[in-house]
Amino acid sequence: MIREKTYYELEVEKIAARYGLPEYQYIQVRQSKAFMEKCYAEKIELTQIAQAACMSRFHFIRLFQSVYGVTPRQYLRDVRIHKAMELFRKGIPVARVCYEVGYQSTSTFSGVFKRGTGLSPKEYLAQQNSNPE
Amino acid sequence: MIRIHVTSVMVDDQEKALQFYTGKLGFIKKTEIPMGEHRWLTVVGPNEQNGVELLLEPMAFGPARVYQQALKDAGIPLTSFMVDNVQQEFERLTAAGVQFTMTPKVMGPVMIAVLDDTCGNNIQLTQML
Repeated sequence: MIREKTYYELEVEKIAARYGLPEYQYIQVRQSKAFMEKCYAEKIELTQIAQAACMSRFHFIRLFQSVYGVTPRQYLRDVRIHKAMELFRKGIPVARVCYEVGYQSTSTFSGVFKRGTGLSPKEYLAQQNSNPE
Repeated sequence: MIRIHVTSVMVDDQEKALQFYTGKLGFIKKTEIPMGEHRWLTVVGPNEQNGVELLLEPMAFGPARVYQQALKDAGIPLTSFMVDNVQQEFERLTAAGVQFTMTPKVMGPVMIAVLDDTCGNNIQLTQML
């Protein structure tokens, strides 16, 4: 049975047709996103991320931001913070978490974590430990 | 420091909503406080149990029903939840009897699908690609 499309579905399709990028560009940008999600634990440069998308650095930054709404640098930072939170929840100490999410200095990592979450790693751990479950 | 603590979906039946949001979607009940006829009833994501709570808010304000119904009729989601894999969730939930008003569709950087929460709302599932 053919299902009738909803108003929402039709609107979504209309917007995609009018404002969407060519599919190959989405594929290129997704490749760079996948690269960051795979290599977040390493020291990676913006040029390498752009290379994963087969683009020049300048063009890549603009395109990535237009697709995901944040710069590649912000996205990589968020991936690292998210991974760090997962590791903290497993009880892994701050110094090890720092290195496992691609930072060489715990003070840099703590600053980035605080800016991204509003809490220092120590405060985040205390909050997690205060959960009665 | 200000932060988002709770957001809500309006539901026509809190108990039915609790069963759906925990039993089908996979949320976990966080708080339940009796409040006369209704309850302060929230759920959280299994991996973010200290995160933002979703209030299953009783539909006690008449005009809100009009708004909810209009969204429902147009297929517009009341809100959106992030999942790791929309296609897998679609298959899992379909097998569990959940109805979808929009099957998985790639829309630029995301894959989306829209389901019926049985409590008066369309809910979008989103996966970042």
